[in-house]
Amino acid sequence: MSFNEFINIFVDIYLILILLYAIFIMSSYLILSCLSIIELKSYLKKNSFVNYQILLSSEYAPALSLIAPAYNEGMTITENVKSLLSLSYNNYQVIVVNDGSKDNSMELLISTYDLIPADQAYDAKIPTKNVKAIYQSRNAAFKKLLVVDKENGGKADALNVGINIAQNPYVVCIDVDCILDRDSLLKLAKPFMESSTKRVIATGGVVRIANQCIIKDGRLEEIHVPDKLLPRIQVLEYLRAFLLGRMAWERLDGLLLISGAFGAFDKEIALLAGGYNTKTVGEDMELVVRMRRYMHEHDLPYTVSFIPDPLCWTEAPESFSIFKKQRSRWMRGTIETLWTHRKMFFNPKFKLLGLVSVPYWTFFEFLAPFIESVGLIITFIFIALGMVNWDSFVILLLFVYFYSIMFSVLALLTEELTYHKYAKIKDYLKLLEGAFIEPFHFHLMSVFAALVGYYEKIKGTHGWGEMTRKGFSKK
Amino acid sequence: MEELWEFYYNKDWIKPFLLYSIYFFVFVSITLFSTIVVMRRLKLRNQKLEKRFTPIIEHILSLNLFESAFFSEFSAYEKLFRNGIFRNLMMESIINLHQNYDGTYAENLENFYMDSGLINDSYKKLNSEHWQIKCKGINELAEMNVAEAFGALVKMSKSSNKILTIVAINACIKLNGSNGIRHLARHKHSFDLWTQLNILDALKQGNLAHIQGLEYLLTSKNNSVISLGLKAISSLNLSEKAPFVQELIDDTTNEEILTEAKTVLNRLIVQNNRSLKYEFQ
Repeated sequence: MSFNEFINIFVDIYLILILLYAIFIMSSYLILSCLSIIELKSYLKKNSFVNYQILLSSEYAPALSLIAPAYNEGMTITENVKSLLSLSYNNYQVIVVNDGSKDNSMELLISTYDLIPADQAYDAKIPTKNVKAIYQSRNAAFKKLLVVDKENGGKADALNVGINIAQNPYVVCIDVDCILDRDSLLKLAKPFMESSTKRVIATGGVVRIANQCIIKDGRLEEIHVPDKLLPRIQVLEYLRAFLLGRMAWERLDGLLLISGAFGAFDKEIALLAGGYNTKTVGEDMELVVRMRRYMHEHDLPYTVSFIPDPLCWTEAPESFSIFKKQRSRWMRGTIETLWTHRKMFFNPKFKLLGLVSVPYWTFFEFLAPFIESVGLIITFIFIALGMVNWDSFVILLLFVYFYSIMFSVLALLTEELTYHKYAKIKDYLKLLEGAFIEPFHFHLMSVFAALVGYYEKIKGTHGWGEMTRKGFSKK
Repeated sequence: MEELWEFYYNKDWIKPFLLYSIYFFVFVSITLFSTIVVMRRLKLRNQKLEKRFTPIIEHILSLNLFESAFFSEFSAYEKLFRNGIFRNLMMESIINLHQNYDGTYAENLENFYMDSGLINDSYKKLNSEHWQIKCKGINELAEMNVAEAFGALVKMSKSSNKILTIVAINACIKLNGSNGIRHLARHKHSFDLWTQLNILDALKQGNLAHIQGLEYLLTSKNNSVISLGLKAISSLNLSEKAPFVQELIDDTTNEEILTEAKTVLNRLIVQNNRSLKYEFQ
């Protein structure tokens, strides 16, 4: 075989593989979005007859323990805790875990909430770093609040402390700097009461981007689309992921991820599964996968629920450096979770989870950036060798480009038909503009950040890295 | 297979495939965005119509409510009553007002609801293929105290659709108090906790003085119905039902029901003792 023949065969095989991969990934997105829309429509129909207020007055409403880990949140902690204490729900406690903050978070909490050491022993069902003290308020108005001061051990360790201390059967893990919808707990608690045949082991809600939104007294007052390109495209990305992706996985009962920003778990199963894994930076996904794996391995009927209502609003990175840190961490978390649970990969014992969900995440979340980068490199080599048919190349680019725009516009229409949070048509135009720019801007950044994630994983980087936030606009 | 490979290998299909796909994606994108624009325009149009109709509806209903004006006195608006949006708005307003008024005012609204033929709209909804429209019809009939609908609502409460069941049972309770749920003792489907809480809430909203026959639920073969009965007895503090709970404890073989019944009985006894203590003092 001559060199030229070898090259030709290589190119043919490469092209067929890339084409198959592209068609597979694009059609899977479309299938998932169709399933999502069907599920969303059904949810909204049902929800129009739901009266969440009955949970407020019912002694049978599930008792919840909110766990909010805090590390150097001194700037906003007292206000954020205040907003957690004023959520619409009766039967809940708030556990703030100060994860060895170096700032004055603890002093602020003690003085603002009149805290005194609580007469409560710490039972470490899940091993954690040392707990220095547990505080409760002298003021009856804050009787729901418990504050734990512990040695620094990372977010997962702080959440484990919260799970160990929680007195209620369901734990709600939240990021202390997120803005929660006032009724978010009512909505999150409902799925736990809805299944009599399968145990609901976890529930999650939609997370939205709050950059440039106006916040008043810890509540969202006005919703805007950010002017800055990076957070603006993230709005679009979150709409696609939550409205057109996760609802489909909910319908298939193959959801692997409940966002760490806001998710509720059955405490008993979380404890039996061993709590959060402190050795991974993707502790939120890892816990869901491990809880599911536990249920499968013990042959227990279960489900994981997901609510499409926007319950939690968070601040997205506005600078590339922070964005890169966040996305590389997400990639490391994905790799660590998939590697830890590699036994599930194409394992029929885990049914849909093993045969579809885990392989999907492996091929389309973990491998996609790698395949794209290889594709880019090979394209440059083809260009350098003069092997590129420019007509076909441009048509291929336009094919991918317009598919990406179509998918974003579908997400926008879904938002318009469902939650309609962006009232002004100007906001939609801003998002549409983002959709046109995204493939040349945001997408490349995401791929680069994911490659950094691969590199950091190979290098053995641990920890989150410093994540600075700008803070919300206040009224 | 060979032909297919040949077809793939000669690559003639690639360009047309990509080009037609691009045309398709562009067409779908434009259609989807146009749909957003059209939806918004429709919403605006409906809002304008609502703005136009609201003062008229308020005028009609205030005359009906406070001056007992009959439907026949509003013949000037006959044409408007044939408009779908107007009728829907009128229905919503009547239902809202009825929730806030009782006595003669509520009766005036009920008469208007019947005379204007809105009751037929509600009945039509009951026959819809879509469960959510049925639910709307049920809520309207129950709110307007149309007792004749009770039989149809009992039938619907046996549906396998959970939401329809909840809405129908709540409507039965609204129309017939706790007697409205006696038929549940023969219910086949299991009630989850959410459904039970909805029924409990409907019971609490009703007239507590007229709560009778809840003990009948304790005789059901459906454990979720027994559990509902226990929760209802406990939540409404019906200490006079304690002997029925005791009977259940003696008869049941189900561990969960036994535990729940014991808890309820203890609670009733404590409650009863407390009331006796207050009476004695």
